[in-house]
Parts: sequence; C-alpha cells; structure tokens
Amino acid sequence: MIVELLTVPAIILILGALLLPLIPERIRSSAFLLFPLAALGVLWSLPEGSLLQLPFASYELHLLQVDRLSRIFGTIFVMITFIGGVYAFHIKDVGQQSAAMAYAAGALGVTFAGDFFTLFFFWEIMAATSTYLIWARKTEASDKAGMRYILVHAFGGGLLLTGILLHLSSGGSFLIENIEETYTMASIFMLTGVALNSAIPPLHAWLADAYPKATITGAVFMSAFTTKSAVYVLIRLFPGWDILVYWGVAMALYGVVYAVLVNDIREILAYHIVSQVGYMVAGVGIGTEMAINGTTAHAFSHILYKSLLFMGAGAVIHATGKSKLTELGGFAKKMPVIVGLYMIGAFSISGFPFFNGFISKSMVVSAAGYAHFETVMLLLILASIGTFLHTGLKLPYFTWFGEKKSEFDVGKVPINMKIAMGFGAFFCTLFGVYPALLYNYLPYAVDYHPYTIYHFVEMMQILVFTFIGFWLLRKKLEGTPTIAIDTDWFYRKPAAAVRYLLVEVPNNLFGVAEKVALSAADKLSGLSKNPMQYLLPSFVHEGRTVKSDGFSAPMGAALAFILFGFLVASLVVLL
Amino acid sequence: MKTWHWIALGVVFLISLVLEFGFMEIKSPHWWNHIPAFYAIWGFIGCVAIIYISKWLGKLFILSDEDYYDR
Repeated sequence: MIVELLTVPAIILILGALLLPLIPERIRSSAFLLFPLAALGVLWSLPEGSLLQLPFASYELHLLQVDRLSRIFGTIFVMITFIGGVYAFHIKDVGQQSAAMAYAAGALGVTFAGDFFTLFFFWEIMAATSTYLIWARKTEASDKAGMRYILVHAFGGGLLLTGILLHLSSGGSFLIENIEETYTMASIFMLTGVALNSAIPPLHAWLADAYPKATITGAVFMSAFTTKSAVYVLIRLFPGWDILVYWGVAMALYGVVYAVLVNDIREILAYHIVSQVGYMVAGVGIGTEMAINGTTAHAFSHILYKSLLFMGAGAVIHATGKSKLTELGGFAKKMPVIVGLYMIGAFSISGFPFFNGFISKSMVVSAAGYAHFETVMLLLILASIGTFLHTGLKLPYFTWFGEKKSEFDVGKVPINMKIAMGFGAFFCTLFGVYPALLYNYLPYAVDYHPYTIYHFVEMMQILVFTFIGFWLLRKKLEGTPTIAIDTDWFYRKPAAAVRYLLVEVPNNLFGVAEKVALSAADKLSGLSKNPMQYLLPSFVHEGRTVKSDGFSAPMGAALAFILFGFLVASLVVLL
Repeated sequence: MKTWHWIALGVVFLISLVLEFGFMEIKSPHWWNHIPAFYAIWGFIGCVAIIYISKWLGKLFILSDEDYYDR
C-alpha cells in the first residue's frame, strides 16, 4: 500500500514537505527540486483511470484519477513547482520551503482527486499552506492580510463542504462528475465555494489583498495554484453553465479596471490574474470541446507567463525594496536581463504572436465566436487590450523606464532568480512557437490553428493601436499614492465597528458587572460580620457615644448560655 | 518616442492592412468583419475607454488614501 501511495504525485510532494526540514540546509534547496521532478516522472508514467482506492468510513476514496485533463493540469503544477523552487533557491527558510511544497501537493491532490472528500482534503491543505507564504513576509501588513486570507478561505472551504454534503445527502454521486445545470442548494453552495477560489467577483478580493503582501518567492507559487486548481474544478463540475460565461467576462473586465487604478506592481499583476482567469471561467461556461481545450491551454500558458511576471516584479522588490509605481522608475539599464525576461512574460500575456498567450487566449476567444457569443468575444478582446495596456506597457514603463520617483539603490538579483525567469521565458516562447507541444495533450482533439492571417491581422492592429492610445494618454496612467477600495471593504472597514460591538462592548459590560458583583459581595460580607451595626446604629447618650455594635462580654456570655440551653433541650427531646 | 518608432508602428499597421485586404480569409464571420481595420479602431477606442472609464470610477468611489483602513 505504501508503495502504491507513492504513485500519487501529491503524496510525493507531501513527503517532500515532511522531509525537507530533516535535510541539511546547504542541500535543502537542491533537494526541493527533486520532488517535483519525481512527481513529473510518475504522473507521465501512469495509465489513465482510477488507479488507487482507499476505504474511508463507508466510502471509497479515489486518490488517483488520471485522464488527459488531470495530466495536463498536473504537469503544469509540477513544472511551476520546479521553476518556483529554482527562483527560491537562495531562500533558507525551511518553513517557506515546506509550505510551498505542501501547497503544490494540495494543488496536485485536487487535480487527481476522483471523489469529493479527497478533493476537499487537498483543497484545505492549499488554503492552510499558502497562508504561511503570506505570513512568512513577517510584516504587520502581511500578518493582517494572512489572517484575512485564511478566514476568507475557511469560509470558502465551508461553502464547498456544505455543498458537497448537501449533494451527497440528496443522493448525488460521491465521485467527481459534471453537475447538471440546475440551481439546487447543493450546486449553489459548491459553485460559490469554487468561485471564491477562482477569484470570481465579488468573491475575489482576497487575491489582490494577499498576493502583493506575500513573500517575494511565495507569490510566485500563489500566482499559479489556487485560482487555476479552482478553474480545473470548474471544468470538472460545471462545464457549460451559462452563468459562468457572463461571470467570466465580467471578471475579465473587472480586473482590467482595477489594474488601471492600483499602485503596487504585484497588485497590478494580481488584478490581471482576476482578468485572465475570467477568460478561463468564460471558457468553462461556453463548455464546447474547443472552449474546454482553450480554457485548459490558457490555464497552462497563464501559469507560465504569470509566474514569470511575478518573478520579474519580485526581482524589482528584492533589488530596490520598493514596490510602488510612485516610488520606482528610471533603472532599466541596471537590470536589463530582468527587464528583458519580464517583457517576454508581458508579450505572452498580451497575446503577441509566437508567445504562448497567443495560442491559448485566441482559442478561448475563437470558441466564444464559434458558439455565437459575439458580444462576449468583443468584450474578451477588450479585456485583452487592457492586459497589454497594463502588464505590457504601464507596469514596465513606470517601473523601469519612466523618470525616477524616489531615491533607492538597486541591489543585486541572485542568479537563481534570473535562471528561473529564464526557464519561464523559455517555455512561454517554446509553446508559442510550437503550439502542438501543448495542443497534443489537451483534453479533446484539437482542430484549431492559431497562426492564421486573420489572427495576425487582429493582434497586429490591436497591439499597435493600444500602444498609440497608451502613449498619448500615458500621463493619466501614472501611479498615485492611493489604494483601491474593493469588496474586501465589507469585511475590512466594518472590522473596527464589529470589534467594538462584539468584543469591546461585551468586555466593558462584563467589566462593569464584575465590579458591581465584587463591590456587592464586599458590602454583604461587611454586613454579615456585624449586622447590629446597621440594625442599631451608635448614638450619643449624656455626652458620650454609645457604640451599639460594640461587643459586650456579659451579654455574649448570656446569649451563649441561652443557646447552649436550647441545644441541650433539643438533644434531650430528640434522644 | 523617436521618429523611427512611429515609422515602425506605421509599417506594422500597413502590413496588417495589406494582409487584411489582400490575403485574409474569414472562417467564422462576425458583423464587425465588414468594418475595415476594425481591430485597429477597437484597439484604440478600447484603450482610451478603459483609461477614462477606470479613472472616472476611481474618482467616483474606488480610490482612497493609503491609510484608509487604518483610520
């Protein structure tokens, strides 16, 4: 059984997460890289089908459900674990290394889960371990953001579990299958739980709140796993659900609007995750074979270029200690390699021909066209304009090329960070130039050619005129020292009022009650010591004070004698 | 932007026009395919609209001071 468990890619990485603390520090970073490689080897050697079952109560868990969809998602998760491992090679913090490995294990576990309990188990592992990657930054802002992040994900996990339990109790399958498009309590809870992890507005604010505050290396892993594993679950459970088409388009544009406004470079990238995941969510909603292929391909491409972009932004923060557009600028010549590699990621996300965004994004957009969602298609193209505008133009221009806006030194960027970016840039280009390398492994057979004259014309015109628009209006896109209020307002701003109402008011109330009770007890005990003091107050008689509460020995002796008499009499009567 | 940058952009746009009117096949026709250089127009209008609408929304209710949540 133990040997069989080692054929589960997620278990290999969990083992890695447990073993890493036992490995000496100087070889730990190298050891980190072996586990994703082992998982990659294993997942490509597995046949298709449900390969491992474990009894659990009256259920049978399916830990290893392999098909084309899970294999391609598993592959990209493992690839990015390796690339992230190279990027974080210089990090000695074993907590971060283990957490990142376990986080990747969570994403892989979700991918190969054949039943709902296995899925939920790994879903929660992701939530817990990724939180550590925020807290590991060890700033006040990251502490608070991490707490908000884990609370929101605990809520999301609760929604998903509620949905699963309702689904099972109403006779639904324990195995993960497409859910029929009917809005029952079970399906609504499950969809909402998965939508939260997919960062679908209004349930998305955790992403833009937490990712910019995570550690430099942690954010690279975070940009890959949570949202894309949720997209995978959407494909598994909700393909063809119409609501997702409109939700997807809305989030594609939502992210674009916010990316205009925010000032932190990783926050701009975070809002573009929301935007890009919008394409995938819309693709799931369209639900045709071409759309599912497009969604899968776009998730694959997105993980590569988005992690590359986060690595570039991370390198800037590592070198300068600054992360805001209003503080950066004017140092492109001091990090030409980073700028060049970042721009490959930017070209990819913007859909430049010969980069991987072109071969996947165009597939989702075309799928919308073929399914006669023409407005959806136009709006997705509009979102794509916004993507180039921010990630390809605004961010690099104001970070590296614009005028220098504050004093800072540009430190050295570790070579491993550049190598990791090189890996990312290589794959972004490789899949862009040879799309068949990806298309051959998509869930359905692909009958789509991205390199048509039509697509070339489309992208050339869009990119050229977006650039012209940017250049003419670039002053308007300059960062401002502000923050953008998002739906996290609903749980951040009232926090002070809620804390006052639920913590301070009851605290004060209990405080007052305690004081009253104690002083009452104090008074009562005083009273019980000598009630005469109150019943017969002292008085002045013939010029001298008569203390009524004073003890008089003869009176005491007389009373004691009377009491003793009663005692004897009662004993006699009783006996 | 130097002059040659603008010339390069113009050349790329011209090539796209030549391809559009000379060689382009439309497999899945949409209403906008009848508008010449539609994607150029959409690119420019889209870019301008995104900037202005976002900025307007920002002023309307989205943007706030950096210490907004600490107050």
